Amino acid sequence: MQVPVAAYLPEALALAAALLTFLMDAAGVRQRVVVGSFSVVLYVLALISVLGDLSVAPFSIFATVPKGLIDTGAVGPIQFSSFGLLWQAIFLSASLLVAFASLSEGEGEREVPIFYGLLALATLGTLLVGLSADLIFLLLSVEVTGISTYVLVAYARKDARALEASMKFYLIGALSTAISFFGASLIYGAYGSTALSHLRDLPPSATVGGTQMALVGLGLLTVGLGFKVTAVPFHMWAVDVYDGAPDHVSAYLAAGSKKMGLLAVLVVFAASVSIFREGSAWALYVAFSGLAVVTMTVGNVLALQQRTMKRMLAYSSISQAGYMLIGLAVATPASLAGTTIQAVAHVLMKGGAFLFVAAMASIGVGNRIDDYRGLGHTHPATTASFAILLLSLAGIPLTLGFVGKFYIFASAVQAQGLFIFLAIAGLLNSAVSVFYYARVLRIMYMVEPQTSSQGRWTPAVAHLADPGAGSTPPSAGSSKGANLGRFRAEIQALGLARWSAIVACAALTIILGIYPTPLIDLANNAAAHFLATGP
Amino acid sequence: MILGLGGRSLGKIHGWLAVAFEGAALLTGLWIALTELGAAHPYHDASFVWLGLPDGTNFVMGTLVSPLGALMLIVVNVVGLLVVLYSNEYMAHEDGLPRYYAELMLFLAAMNGLVLSDNYLEFILMWELVGVCSYLLIGFFWRKPEAASAAKKAFIVTRVGDVLFFLGVFIFFSSLGHLTAPPTLAGTVASTYPGTSCPASPVDPSWSCLGFTFTLPNGNSDTPFLSAGAALQAANYGRSSWLPTLAGLLILGGAAGKSAQFPLHTWLPDAMEGPTTVSALIHAATMVAAGIYLLAITSIYIGFTLTAAVVIVGIGGFTSFFAGTMGLASPDIKRVIAYSTISQLGYMAMGVGASSVIVDLTNPLADATLNASGVPMFHLFTHAFFKALLFLSAGAVIHAVGTQDIFKMGGLRKAMPITSTAMLVGGLALSGIPPFAGFFSKDDVLGLTWKAATQDGSWMLYAFFGFALLGVLLTALYTFRLWFLVFSGASSRDLPPADEGHGHGAPAALASSSASEAHGGTKETPAGATHSVLASSSAPSGPAHSPAVHSGPRDPSWIMSVPLVVLATLAIVAGFIPLIPGFSNLLPGLSWTVMGECVSHCPSGAAFDPTDAMLGGLSLALAVVGILIAWSFWGNGKVYRIPTGSALAVPHRILLRKYYFDEVYDGFATHVILGISRGADWVDRYIIDGTIRGIEEIFSQASKTGRRLQTGVVSNYAAWVVVGLLAFLVFFLYVVPWLVSGAHVSLTPGL
Repeated sequence: MQVPVAAYLPEALALAAALLTFLMDAAGVRQRVVVGSFSVVLYVLALISVLGDLSVAPFSIFATVPKGLIDTGAVGPIQFSSFGLLWQAIFLSASLLVAFASLSEGEGEREVPIFYGLLALATLGTLLVGLSADLIFLLLSVEVTGISTYVLVAYARKDARALEASMKFYLIGALSTAISFFGASLIYGAYGSTALSHLRDLPPSATVGGTQMALVGLGLLTVGLGFKVTAVPFHMWAVDVYDGAPDHVSAYLAAGSKKMGLLAVLVVFAASVSIFREGSAWALYVAFSGLAVVTMTVGNVLALQQRTMKRMLAYSSISQAGYMLIGLAVATPASLAGTTIQAVAHVLMKGGAFLFVAAMASIGVGNRIDDYRGLGHTHPATTASFAILLLSLAGIPLTLGFVGKFYIFASAVQAQGLFIFLAIAGLLNSAVSVFYYARVLRIMYMVEPQTSSQGRWTPAVAHLADPGAGSTPPSAGSSKGANLGRFRAEIQALGLARWSAIVACAALTIILGIYPTPLIDLANNAAAHFLATGP
Repeated sequence: MILGLGGRSLGKIHGWLAVAFEGAALLTGLWIALTELGAAHPYHDASFVWLGLPDGTNFVMGTLVSPLGALMLIVVNVVGLLVVLYSNEYMAHEDGLPRYYAELMLFLAAMNGLVLSDNYLEFILMWELVGVCSYLLIGFFWRKPEAASAAKKAFIVTRVGDVLFFLGVFIFFSSLGHLTAPPTLAGTVASTYPGTSCPASPVDPSWSCLGFTFTLPNGNSDTPFLSAGAALQAANYGRSSWLPTLAGLLILGGAAGKSAQFPLHTWLPDAMEGPTTVSALIHAATMVAAGIYLLAITSIYIGFTLTAAVVIVGIGGFTSFFAGTMGLASPDIKRVIAYSTISQLGYMAMGVGASSVIVDLTNPLADATLNASGVPMFHLFTHAFFKALLFLSAGAVIHAVGTQDIFKMGGLRKAMPITSTAMLVGGLALSGIPPFAGFFSKDDVLGLTWKAATQDGSWMLYAFFGFALLGVLLTALYTFRLWFLVFSGASSRDLPPADEGHGHGAPAALASSSASEAHGGTKETPAGATHSVLASSSAPSGPAHSPAVHSGPRDPSWIMSVPLVVLATLAIVAGFIPLIPGFSNLLPGLSWTVMGECVSHCPSGAAFDPTDAMLGGLSLALAVVGILIAWSFWGNGKVYRIPTGSALAVPHRILLRKYYFDEVYDGFATHVILGISRGADWVDRYIIDGTIRGIEEIFSQASKTGRRLQTGVVSNYAAWVVVGLLAFLVFFLYVVPWLVSGAHVSLTPGL
């Protein structure tokens, strides 16, 4: 079917953002405000375009692509579906969030255009994943993002830790990619096609031992893509990379590129049902259930012992991936809707949290969790936002994190059978996770701020006290003007863009937590449609 | 929609803006109510899905204009408007006015939302919001410890009721097997539109979207609203079975908390620490009415359980008497009125209970008169006006003389003609003297209770009825004790000189109305008040400072007078309102009778009811006797105090101390609950904590072990990837086929 060219507008905009940003670099235009705003505007336009497409009834259309580009037989490699578009909106939100918040970063020599250009390329990859109807196309799209992010981690060229992280990321990534493509080639061997609809609808060829080939292929694909999702035991790179990467890149890795991996796994998973004959399809569910349980448990348990904020967030991100995998393993419309909601929540929570870390680092707060003591008193608005995000991560009601988790667990219970154990495991894990989130909250609010004599972040305090307001403690009934002054100082110190990005994340978490129905409806429709019509 | 109107004025600074908004809300409310008068079906919109669950259950935030709800809309917004208007003068010189108006408007918005809600979940949310706002408003003078503790007390005591209420609703839910039990919002719906109403395929399709259609024994399909009760009945619960009884009693608990019924009444008198406007609005006309409203909309359901219905009658009847006795002793003008509120709420609760007792279970839809929840609602309606009137008059008095101790007032009639007349009207209405509103409604409640008692034949109901009759006597007695003490007599008694012992600063500073800041610990200093008064919670005997710059007490300006006059008028005419055609739609089951002579909306074939005439005469006689006794003790400027050492001193003391309820509750809280919590603490410390520490230890160890695996060496990571891969392959290629083991189609067809 002929799809209007305008349908590719989001991808075109992302590509334009990437290419023009690099051109700007060549032309010597390197001011952050120019380059960054350009990206932000294009992302906003792309997001509007995607949301506009989403506003119509659930649909899916295969787009025809000239033969010879990728010969996939009956259908093209590209498919527009409301489910894919919904995820595209998630990816774009993540990019937008990071691009916008990065406006508050300092100027570098050539780093600014490199950062925004690579971010745009990564975004392009994620958008293409949302359109994929073909295994090879899917893996190539994943690689577009993958390669961009390897470089993105190292874009601050003088940071040795970032370079190390990038190297680790790249090595494991290369291994995973190789595994993925090997799996894809086996799948092609088994089916004679890489079109996902073909894989889904037809059994593997019986003459060449296709089932076993397909099973091995599926295993390889799961491993290769599990790397992106940070599923255990393919997660080990994630902690080092999140920790070593520049904070904003960590935010993108957690918010954007991980969601892309999740969608890729989801699509492959949905397509691979045909490998299993009647009576043994449970094996697939068991495999993914196991993956989910191991992932969230390992993530949570290891997060308990972390002493630095970014590593803690990295492990918590791994455990969140576990929750989302539950929705995948249950594979009902409700559970996929739950995963989608949780993905939205995760973009806001993890994106906002890493941005908070970045903001705090920018005013000299150390990376250890203990360094965050008393921030609730010195930076009330931002810290409160971070606290909301943490509560949402822990799954406290009236936050979006609760809605997503609740939906996933409830769908597991509703699916009955052994899935109920997934819900139980998830609940136990949530209980464990409260420990480490609450510890951060306690440190931020119940522990007095460091005094300036020992404080590593004296500059921040000095900065705050400057506008004549900070000297009185807030509890002593400081006047309105003083409070305004404090807020102004806080915003100034953290940067307006970053500050508003964090606060917006928290606000959205709460708003969608209190009134999630539009999001739920959207996710439900898209998920039901996805399961009915295929990837 | 009202919610939006009320809510939008949040944070607005000026009181007039609040007046404007509340006026708009009132107009909308009246419009809705008038529409309701002529409507064939209640307006119901359940299209706003708040939260959908994965199993398809939807939590709906719907709007339902039921007849009772429409009535409540009128009450809430009329009183609300007048109180907000009144506040513009009364509160003019207080600090924190934006906060005051914001809280007031939020409160009104929540109240409107409550009466418009169409299911218990929404109801609970609004109910809680009302509770929070009342907490904030009672504690408005937050620097004053009494106010803060009164606010806390109101919150905690009503919270006890709330918990019971939640449990009751939970039983509804679970007995329905569904999480969206819409409220049994009334028989009112059913009984207003007898027979024809609630079709199986409703006119409004949104009715059926809730997915409840239950078949009653007589074969009628029912609306969603009756579903809880009907479902329980459909499940063959008898009238005495325990589950509906439990649910009914638990709901009663919630209503008792909110409506200050015995034994959860203790918060209301203390809540008088709030501004008088707040008392008038919350603790007379609206919030406490929420509990009665809850009972009324649940009344058919409660009818399925006789025990709960009788208990409600009992608690109501007893409370009406019990609160009256305490009202006799209190020297505080506001507290006397507060006790009268509790007492009148008792009548309402009794009426709802009685209407539940006599509900016809075989066919609750058939005969409108058999569900008589409109009768107590009628009392609620009239009471709202005359009680607000009494409170606002009292506010005017306090405003003028600066004390709340009635023994320090007197002879104010000449100085404050409007106020004294207004209060007289309120008092007559409260006592139940015709033609004032209270007479008609109270009489109806008593008649209904008598009917329930005769129909059921239980001696308990007769006993409770007796309590209620005694309550009538007491009401007249304490009301006119109050009025005589405050207004009668030739001239004002001398106000005692400033009491330096209280040491809140120089009298000169206190005398100025702007002094509230200077002695932040003392009580509200209304706008023109010359005297700052310290009224401690149990014995208001504050220092009253002789007026130096004041020409003596006088009537307030029009801002405060207009509400008084309007309310006084309403207190006179509200009793006749059922005569307006169509209005009876809002008051199901009410037949308007005067002395047994049925005038309007009569049950068929009953023109004159001698029993009712007798009851009317009896209660009137009791009221008159009460007034006469009051006259003999306190009339014409006499001040009668119980002499210390006399035989009456001991009961007087008990009454003053409010039957030592506070002490008992305190004792309970400090000893029993503390004891329990100590025990719990021990368990927590040594057993639960131990377990948790154990678990934590396990996790920590696991975590440490796990950390060791996280070596930071890339080749190790790669090794783990390979391990994971192998695990997958082994699982798919070996474990699964082995488990399936040929029972099903083999996984290896090609080999």
